[in-house]
Amino acid sequence: MKKFGRGMATIMFGFGYGEGFPDHSIASIEIKEDERIVIRTAAADVGQGVITTVIQIAAEILRINPNYFEVVQGDTHKTKNSGSTSATRQTYFTGNAVKKAAEDMLANLYHYGSLEFRSNHPEIAIEDGRIYMYDDPDDYISYWEMAERVKERGEKLEAEGSFFPVTYSPDENGQADKVYVAYTFLSQVIDIEIDTDTGTIDLLDVYSAIDLGKAINPKNVEGQIEGGTVQGLGMGMMEDQVIRNGKTLNAGMTDYLVPTSVDVPKFKHYLVEEEDSEGPFGAKGVGEPTLIAAAPALANAVYDAIGVRFFELPISPSKIKKALKEKEKEENS
Amino acid sequence: MQITITVNGAKRELEVTPYTRLLDLLREDLGLTGVKEGCGKGECGACTVIMNGELTASCLVPAPQADQAEIVTVEGLGTKDDLHPIQESFVEAGAVQCGYCIPGMVLASKRLLDEKPKPTEKEVRYGLSGNICRCTGYAKIIDAVMLAADKLAVEGSDSND
Repeated sequence: MKKFGRGMATIMFGFGYGEGFPDHSIASIEIKEDERIVIRTAAADVGQGVITTVIQIAAEILRINPNYFEVVQGDTHKTKNSGSTSATRQTYFTGNAVKKAAEDMLANLYHYGSLEFRSNHPEIAIEDGRIYMYDDPDDYISYWEMAERVKERGEKLEAEGSFFPVTYSPDENGQADKVYVAYTFLSQVIDIEIDTDTGTIDLLDVYSAIDLGKAINPKNVEGQIEGGTVQGLGMGMMEDQVIRNGKTLNAGMTDYLVPTSVDVPKFKHYLVEEEDSEGPFGAKGVGEPTLIAAAPALANAVYDAIGVRFFELPISPSKIKKALKEKEKEENS
Repeated sequence: MQITITVNGAKRELEVTPYTRLLDLLREDLGLTGVKEGCGKGECGACTVIMNGELTASCLVPAPQADQAEIVTVEGLGTKDDLHPIQESFVEAGAVQCGYCIPGMVLASKRLLDEKPKPTEKEVRYGLSGNICRCTGYAKIIDAVMLAADKLAVEGSDSND
């Protein structure tokens, strides 16, 4: 028999290292004569999309098409420290560092623009890679030409930004002014169907509402939610590392099962953009928090479907079958 | 020993040992690094190629067994400036995160769409089920294949006009 169940879980996640740990990111931007804008950051993109995100941030501040950007990433000879790609911190930390570098660059464009046009900042317009006087838009200097002119002055058209927020270690009661830079909140509702004959769980739909401050790249955000949730659901229903005498007995993908395309549910996302005061354009981190609610929401859905509470993961078919048998025995006795 | 294989349309004569894996032949000898090694045991799909029209785990094929075979790798589908509609769809759907499984996913999609130009979502899910992805949760990859089917259908009708 198939039994429907619906479960929900809500989590909060403080991201960045927090607790007073020195956590920062440094980035720089250079405008080149050959129509390139180079961002330098040590932030490692492992697929989460930090490179896309920082290009979007810099392009927005510098008022130019993102296609002109290239990123030198993770090269210790060419980049300063951006901290690790961990703790759900890169969009917030390196996003802020790049934003500050871009703002410094924009200030430089105004500065050199005012020197070239022999005028004041309020008279100068900067738009679409051009610097000009408001009253004469046709007489413009492109960013690339400006880079050339700055070079002739014996200087470089470059800027640096760093983000170094302060957090505090909590006291013995777990309290402090600011333990983490900010918190991401996520609620998920998961609909499932349990086959009581086989004990298998069919994942139907997952509804996610995430307070992420601002979705700088909504498609990447959705990808993070879907990927994290599926890892959490894998943990919840199939992933089981079996260790005997210090040895993993199932170190392979045929006996340590992870979700495949057949297993995954359909998704619906609600992005709640409650802007954070310090994040770049209000953004907060969305990496790790996406994994946490899935297993508890699944366990609640299982309870809703068959009335059995599980306190150990994964909730495998054999555990469900065994629990159903025990429940039946109890009800009959 | 000597074998003859056709890789991405080009015929090649190659000297191989009996214990060379097709995976290493493609990556090391021919520089086709779009073929990835994941588990090395035929369980993850990262090393997928299309061999004589069938999806094949290249880590499990001894090179001599590929003698006279026709092989397509992801490099044979499109180039960076001229993407195959399937690759284009992966980009547009946001289906790529770390990218490691993607060459295999793209080839599995190609094989599926060659056989079933208008697959149902369920058929897409089963068509990709031999390829494991740990980043994306598959949702956008499934979207990408559905999108590619639409694109290829439009292209097909254009060429028939």
